[in-house]
Amino acid sequence: MDPPVSSQTNSSDYYDEDDSAFLEALTTTVLPGDIVQGDDEISSPEVSQELTPPPPSQPFLKRTRLEAFAERGKSAQVDRAADDDVYGASHFGEFGEYMRRKRAKLQIQNADIEENAGSGSKIFESLAIYINGYTQPSTQDLRTLITKHGGVFQPYLDKKSIVTHIVTCSLTAAKMREFKHMKVVRPEWLVESAERGVLLPWRNYIFTPNERSEPTLGSTIKQPNLLDTSTSSPATRVRKNANSPFNTPVKQTGERHLKGAVTPVIKNPPPLYQQPRKDTPRNAFPTERLSRGQIDTKIAMLPSKLAPPQQVTDAKKVVPVYAADTSNPLATRVMANPDWRKAHTSVAPDFIEGFYKNSRLHHLSAWKAELKNLVQEAQERAETIGTGELVGRIKSEVNGESAGVSMRGAELVMKSPGKSKGKEKAVDDRVIMHCDFDCFFVSAGLVSRPQLRGKPVVVCHSQGGPSSTSEIASASYEARSFGVKNVLDKLGNFVRPSSPSLTSLRGEYKQLSLKFYTILMNHADDLQAVSVDEALIDVTSVVMQLRSRGSQDPAAVDSAKDFAEMIRAQVRKATGCEVSIGISHNILLARLATRRAKPAGSYHLVHDEVKEFLAPLNISDLHGFGWSTKQKAQEKLGTATLGELMDKSKAVLCDVLGKSTGETVYNALRGIDDKKLESDKPRKSVSCEINYGIRFENSEQAEVFIYQMAKEVAKRLDDIGMVGRSVTLKIMKRDPTAPVEPPKFLGHGACDLYNKQISLIGPGGRATSDERVIGEHAYRILRSFNFDPKELRGIGIQIQKLEKPSSGGTGVKQAVLPFRSAPSPKKPMPPPAAPQIHVHPPSDDIPQPVEQESSAKAQAVDLPSFSQLDMEVFNALPNDVRKELENEYQRRSTSPFVAGPAPAPAAPARLAGPIRKDIFPKNIVVKGPNYQQIVRQQRPWNRPSISPAKNPLFKKKARAGASKLSDAALQKLNIDPEVFRGLPPALQHEQLTMLRLIKERGKIPSPPSKRKVLKPRKRKPIPAHLLWRAPAPQARWVTPPILRQQGKQKKEKFFFTETGDIQGAIEGWMNTYRRWAPKEKDIEFFTKYLVASVDGEKHTDVGVERAVAILKWWLVLLRRYWGGSEYVDDEGYMDPSQGDPVGEAWWKAFRETKEKMDVVARERFGGRLSLR
Amino acid sequence: MRLGGPAFHSLNETRPVGNHSTEHDVRMPEAPLTFNQTVKGVTEFIEVAVHTILYVRQIYPADLFIRRKKYDTPVFQSRHPALNAYISGAVKAIGEELVKGTVDKVVVVIKDKEQVALERFIFSIENMVQVEAFNKDTRWALYREGPSKRNSKTYSIEDAMSSRSLGQYFRSFLVKLSMAESQLGPLNTEGDPSFAIVLELKDNAVPSAPRPTEPAPWIPANAQDTTPGAADDAELQMIRAVNTGIINLSLAVQESGAKLQREKAAMKAKKAASAKPLEVVEPEKPNP
Repeated sequence: MDPPVSSQTNSSDYYDEDDSAFLEALTTTVLPGDIVQGDDEISSPEVSQELTPPPPSQPFLKRTRLEAFAERGKSAQVDRAADDDVYGASHFGEFGEYMRRKRAKLQIQNADIEENAGSGSKIFESLAIYINGYTQPSTQDLRTLITKHGGVFQPYLDKKSIVTHIVTCSLTAAKMREFKHMKVVRPEWLVESAERGVLLPWRNYIFTPNERSEPTLGSTIKQPNLLDTSTSSPATRVRKNANSPFNTPVKQTGERHLKGAVTPVIKNPPPLYQQPRKDTPRNAFPTERLSRGQIDTKIAMLPSKLAPPQQVTDAKKVVPVYAADTSNPLATRVMANPDWRKAHTSVAPDFIEGFYKNSRLHHLSAWKAELKNLVQEAQERAETIGTGELVGRIKSEVNGESAGVSMRGAELVMKSPGKSKGKEKAVDDRVIMHCDFDCFFVSAGLVSRPQLRGKPVVVCHSQGGPSSTSEIASASYEARSFGVKNVLDKLGNFVRPSSPSLTSLRGEYKQLSLKFYTILMNHADDLQAVSVDEALIDVTSVVMQLRSRGSQDPAAVDSAKDFAEMIRAQVRKATGCEVSIGISHNILLARLATRRAKPAGSYHLVHDEVKEFLAPLNISDLHGFGWSTKQKAQEKLGTATLGELMDKSKAVLCDVLGKSTGETVYNALRGIDDKKLESDKPRKSVSCEINYGIRFENSEQAEVFIYQMAKEVAKRLDDIGMVGRSVTLKIMKRDPTAPVEPPKFLGHGACDLYNKQISLIGPGGRATSDERVIGEHAYRILRSFNFDPKELRGIGIQIQKLEKPSSGGTGVKQAVLPFRSAPSPKKPMPPPAAPQIHVHPPSDDIPQPVEQESSAKAQAVDLPSFSQLDMEVFNALPNDVRKELENEYQRRSTSPFVAGPAPAPAAPARLAGPIRKDIFPKNIVVKGPNYQQIVRQQRPWNRPSISPAKNPLFKKKARAGASKLSDAALQKLNIDPEVFRGLPPALQHEQLTMLRLIKERGKIPSPPSKRKVLKPRKRKPIPAHLLWRAPAPQARWVTPPILRQQGKQKKEKFFFTETGDIQGAIEGWMNTYRRWAPKEKDIEFFTKYLVASVDGEKHTDVGVERAVAILKWWLVLLRRYWGGSEYVDDEGYMDPSQGDPVGEAWWKAFRETKEKMDVVARERFGGRLSLR
Repeated sequence: MRLGGPAFHSLNETRPVGNHSTEHDVRMPEAPLTFNQTVKGVTEFIEVAVHTILYVRQIYPADLFIRRKKYDTPVFQSRHPALNAYISGAVKAIGEELVKGTVDKVVVVIKDKEQVALERFIFSIENMVQVEAFNKDTRWALYREGPSKRNSKTYSIEDAMSSRSLGQYFRSFLVKLSMAESQLGPLNTEGDPSFAIVLELKDNAVPSAPRPTEPAPWIPANAQDTTPGAADDAELQMIRAVNTGIINLSLAVQESGAKLQREKAAMKAKKAASAKPLEVVEPEKPNP
């Protein structure tokens, strides 16, 4: 038997989808079974939902949509009556109850907050906010903020549809995925919205995953309290905090503001520098508390060159505009303008010059290179001259403008001739000093602006509004104490009315630098120029001398330190600037010591202190180890502090950080550094790299730019008189995830880096500095990357394997065969920037080289050039053939074109071919076109590869040898060979077959008739009348019991089956016998019908239903007419209506009927019928 | 009793349509039911009704149920997978019996925590026709109408109700079922009601096993949960009945004697409590 289909279905399959309109109607409709909502319930439905568990007897009430939850926070009236429930003790195992109460309590708290601190502001009214994880300000503060402004704070995220926004400062990857479709914002949104009193668009504050507020995972940060008066929300903080020096708004500087996020940095300076700092800037320059007036006057005083950074409070603009969007809208807008693009991006013709004129980093590196050269030269000179001159002098003073950026022309004189450079000494006995200017650019600037001393000063590249992305080159210690961190900070975050362009101070910087180096040279055994303002010197011998000469107790006096102070004094005297000097026995430690020496001091890190000194430091504090090393150490070793890393074995470090890095770190941890001063390190490479303003639209622009860069590189190579053997192209390509316009104006943003190196082969296979060759190579690499030029953000060309042009001896090189063809050296290859060459029409008088080539190519396919001909063979040719050939060659020699509509007149220059005109007499007549075949026969067989078309192996098999048949064979078949040969091959074949058939069989078989298609026969259905089928199963309907009634007339009968009819009959009966007791016969008549109806066996349950309905109607009528006669038997409660016999008779009839029905019903269902 | 909107009221008044109509609409919903369709329809309805009963009588917290639409009327369906599995398992077993035509009644018994039956929701089932297995999905009426209609694989039982009107009947079942709740007294179960599904077969029939090697999914029921075990003073309310011509189905709810006695006792206590302060002394009168 078939199981019913239902057996496979799931329970839920029986239900259709929710129909929203229907559901809506349903919620408003009161259904039977609902308990009517009282007014009190309607007034605060949310509260009752929240605070009390839904009573089980109200099925519909608790089923209102979840959205109702979102609004519950609005209701400030909390039903205090529910407090008992909320604050009661939880029962064991009732976790749900606990949580429910907790939520309720939280909402009550929220309501309290709103009552107490209610600001009347309703800006967050429609929001339901969930706060995830650590935030700044803290969750509690945000919660207060939210509820204060009418929002709903959601403590839990179990119902995502309730929450409109998620506020967070950091998200785990898993949560990022989870909240992918939700509105995740930073807390600034709330804070700033609250400050402004309007709900700011949340889109400006979308949380982007990489902005992690905490620096490392493990570290704990004290959450600043929003409610603290000292550090409330950024704006109020500034407003209220009277102690802050920059609390007062500066009017004329407009809308500039220190970003709130910088504050913690200001508050917690790294502890390393605090302790030993003898004279902090606050002491050195007595702390100035600037009032508004002071600042105003200061700014007025300034010659608009350097100015202190100021915080400006402006509630309307807290975050710099550019930071609000990851993509720089300004740049995007401006890039849309093609003219602007042309003028300012890499497309501009003078872009590279402009770039190098303005790039600070370029100046620094250029100076450094020059300094190194100077140092090197000085050393060389010292070695060769061998005289110890104690005073360095600057041979030619640089005169500000004319010398430009260069330091060339200056000369340093090395002090020590003896090659006791300290390199040979035991490593530990060395005395290395690391000398570093204190905020060099600022100090240099202050030399000529003494009035600014002690003020917060920054130096940066360009002036600009708060949206400036210019980086701060240097900041005075005063400025640093206000949160200007270092070069990494964008200028736009800080405020200054105007600032000098770096170039205007160039001269000063250079002079200072030269003076500084001169002094160092005087004292150093060896010197390594680190940068313009920083140098490493080896002063071992001097200190030794001092030590031996000095006191008997070396511990008491640190001669190295004394010496350092001396140097400092000299520098101060010469330059007016402070240097800091760190002293130790190797470079690494000297560098670290300098950090402690700063500002304006010196520090000697001696052997015994090394360990303690290193322990608290971070690995990234070490020179040469940066963020990535720190990350690696943090990830894999769990720590980045040197003290803890010290316990790790060398193997572990090598494993984690890589072999060489690990080893270096291992040594560095123990204060060991074998590195030597690189005073005479030769230049290894020359490069040019631009990653600012690179915006190409097509590859032509990129190509032009590459050639321009190649020119720049070539210029630099020429400057140092070197040639290179290898070229590397560095490409920065926009990271696919990064915005097209990065935050930094025209900057490169997040990029993927690509490098490719190829050997640079100049003419003759030599090393070269030729700009065109470099450009070609570089562009070839770029092409091989196959990048979309629009995606390029940075291009660098680096030339390695430098050598002196003279030293690159040709003897080493491979001999180069003089095979180089085509362009004569006088005619350089057309630069790619001039593609218009190709558009000359071919009819030009002067044939273009390009066309020349094409003609040569065309020649190659038919005739070898005359010089290639074997003259013996040529002469052996039959006369006419030879003449043809000669004629052809002559024709060619007169015209460069093989074939052309209008053969151009021969240009005299082109006549200088290998073939001379006079070889061929002019009167040779061309006879036929078959000279080509002859020449082809002459040509040596020089096709090494087998073309499939030509190779018989791959050829289509020839048809039955039709064409191969000899004439005799054809004639045998009665075919005229001439006619036959004239036929196309297919016909030939057909004819042959036919003839052969006739020959063999004597006749041609008739072709087969048209193909018959076989199809399955259609089955004719058997007509219905021929088929006998079993009759369909018939539904069985039980006839309902019928109440037959005699009509008024004879033989007239009524048949009642429908409920209403029978009810009507009963009503008529009762109305008729209103005054009398019912007749037995009538009672029996109805009873019989009803009892029959109730009998489900006979008349189905529909009958039962009907009988009950009739009985109920009878009861209704009885109660209407003789209600007093009813009694409730069980209670013994008797009707007091004394003796209404008619009524009692009717009731009795009713009861008896019902009892009879009950008996029948009991059989089927048990019990009795209910008439309720 | 409060009736719903006019929409629901009119639904109750829907007259049977299919009973005497002899014309056969070609469209499927109007075509007469086949045997298997009817069985499926009935089992489906029983499942829906069980969910509705559990909801209406608050056997489980209302949170457990989700409102869905079935038979064009709102119904409530449990969301608890275990409960759903139990119900659908039981209904599946009922369906197997239904095909054989041995089912007499399906009863949903509501019990209090002492396992005393309080209410019995009785689905009374009567198989009107016996159909050979190969005919159970046969639509004879259409077959006769000619070959063009024969693509339809199913042919129905002649003269039976159409599936559309059966659906309308089921809607009226469900609507009346929700209304019945107001006529039944509240369940004073002291917070821990439970329910059971009882299958009553015809005389001499035994529940079948899905495979000969496996036991039948049924166990003998408690006497008090069954119809013979019902007390004489139990009261039956007929909720709705329908005749399909194939399987006749009715739904009634029976309040057990135990429940009614409890109610009476509670009423008496209440009356006594309210009567006392008045101190009305009634003259004793003899019973009539």
